[in-house]
Amino acid sequence: MIHLNNVRKFYGALEVIKGVDVTVDDGEFAVFVGPSGCGKSTLLRMIAGLEGIDSGDLVLNGKRINDVPPDKRGIAMVFQSYALYPHMTVAENIGFSLSLKKVAPKEIRRQVEEVAEILQLRELLDRRPGALSGGQRQRVAIGRAIIKKPSLILFDEPLSNLDSALRVQMRAELQRLHRELSATVVYVTHDQVEAMTMADKIVVLNQGTVAQAGPPMELYHRPNNEFVATFIGSPKMNILPVTMTREGSESVHLVGPLGMALTLVDADASLPEGTARLGVRPEHLKVVAPDAAHFAAEVAIVERLGVETYLTVGSIDQPIVVRVEGDVTFRPGDRVPLAADTAACHIFSADGRILRSANAA
Amino acid sequence: MSVAPPGESANRGRADLMAYASLSLISIFCAIPFFWLLIASFDGNAQLFLRWPETWTFANYLRVFTKEDGAKWLFNSLFVVGSATVLVMVLSGLGGYALSRTRAWWKLPFLYAILLIRVLPSTALIVPLYKFLLTLNNAEGALLRPIFGGATRDIMRWTGFIDGYLGLILVLATMQLPLSLWIMKTFFDGLPRDYEEAALMDGATMIQRIRRVLVPLALPGLAASGLFAFMSAWGDFLLPLILLSSPELQTLPLGLFRAFLRINEIDYGLLTALAFIYLVPAVVAFGFARRFLVQTFSGGVKG
Repeated sequence: MIHLNNVRKFYGALEVIKGVDVTVDDGEFAVFVGPSGCGKSTLLRMIAGLEGIDSGDLVLNGKRINDVPPDKRGIAMVFQSYALYPHMTVAENIGFSLSLKKVAPKEIRRQVEEVAEILQLRELLDRRPGALSGGQRQRVAIGRAIIKKPSLILFDEPLSNLDSALRVQMRAELQRLHRELSATVVYVTHDQVEAMTMADKIVVLNQGTVAQAGPPMELYHRPNNEFVATFIGSPKMNILPVTMTREGSESVHLVGPLGMALTLVDADASLPEGTARLGVRPEHLKVVAPDAAHFAAEVAIVERLGVETYLTVGSIDQPIVVRVEGDVTFRPGDRVPLAADTAACHIFSADGRILRSANAA
Repeated sequence: MSVAPPGESANRGRADLMAYASLSLISIFCAIPFFWLLIASFDGNAQLFLRWPETWTFANYLRVFTKEDGAKWLFNSLFVVGSATVLVMVLSGLGGYALSRTRAWWKLPFLYAILLIRVLPSTALIVPLYKFLLTLNNAEGALLRPIFGGATRDIMRWTGFIDGYLGLILVLATMQLPLSLWIMKTFFDGLPRDYEEAALMDGATMIQRIRRVLVPLALPGLAASGLFAFMSAWGDFLLPLILLSSPELQTLPLGLFRAFLRINEIDYGLLTALAFIYLVPAVVAFGFARRFLVQTFSGGVKG
């Protein structure tokens, strides 16, 4: 189990990690995700020991390891560039950490072959990294990490150098490995799809703080704030400025752009009056009969993927994406009546805090 | 690939022919002096002008090593230039690494300032340089003489700053260091930090990181910087001329120069044989360098 307790990092006067609290349980696959510059790689490097920790505690299996040198932490890392030594064979690369520890060559060979078996690298052991494909290099890099039998494996954007087809394959591969090794993993990526598909726990970082941490579906359905709501999910959640007025004791009336007008159930009267921001995912907007519509808008873009179609409606500065099942016959310029699934609507305050989650009522 | 129309491919053929013809001419023009050297050095009666030898002989080469001090000159040249090269490789390897990784504010000013050493002609600096080395040399002599007495001169032949190997080695290395530092700095710039960090995570000590990771990775760059230094220092004539005076310290170019200056005779056979011997290490070095230069200047390590 690794635990970060109010961890901070400064570059000069600039605070890049602003008091992060994260816990990753044994065997968990945790993904740190966020836009570039959010501090996710810095945080990973702090766990690895490649960056110092200016304040707070880093606790691995009950031991504070802030000042333990990187190689003594029992942590292995797979680098973005893989960092395979071009002058060594695959076997030498994988066995490098053991040869540094002066383990007998025979024993190194045995362990390297064991690892190669798991990673299906047997035939490649005597090749040099230059003669390997991207996916094979990736596996060698993983081999170099797992031969150390670490209690934690760190991945720093390991799939970003691969083409998209290989990336899908490697995602599955990494999940299989994670199951087989029952290893604890901290994985950094800027790609929320990678985070959603692989993680047991997602930690969304924004500007050096944790925006929200939790299982993927919790973040998807019950985001804590507008940042997480729009970052998780693709295409992203539509955010629309609305004005709320109370309508009796158990509901609020929302008025938004494009003549939008809808009523939300608000049984405990928790929503304030005034301006707010409505969040609704593309799949929670439907094309309906004109008399059931909350608003109507002109179709600007039609993206047809066969099984589903994405309509972008409204103006350029306030686009709204609608997901429609199947292949539809809409064309740009058509005016469509739309309705939101009121149970799946999120309401955020003007500064982005969540006021009402989907299905809350 | 698209197929070129017949007219175009004929044009292409003619253009290729012209290119090869002119390149051949230029190559011949460049090669003739070497060819002349080679032929004349085996000629029993070599003349100023190129001619086919009447008698082929090794006598010229034999004379270099028996009658003249050729072996000593060759050793001196190889020793002095070789030591300077090794020094340059070590310093440029360490320095280039440091300059590549540091974020210090003086990095760029420093890098441009050291280029001045390269840009200023050493001839212009020869007087202050000589004065400076002479002062050092006198100080060293004053220090050593009370201890070693009569043996001092023998020691100073190796460690002296004037008329000693050490002084010439240091000055030659200094002249070559700026360019080599630039080469190595650029080389390390292209080498991801990930390599070292991966080694650090694997538990490599500083020495192990240098020996097992950095040096093997930097080998192409080091070879390029070393060979550059070797070729350039090998061709230097002025510095040994000024800094060396003892006959037993003379280098090959000085031997060649003095043989040419002899009053009563110009022995073209001896001169060409000497010149050819002087050429060989530079050509061999270039042969090695070519491979590494391409690797170094086409963008670091691929792997």
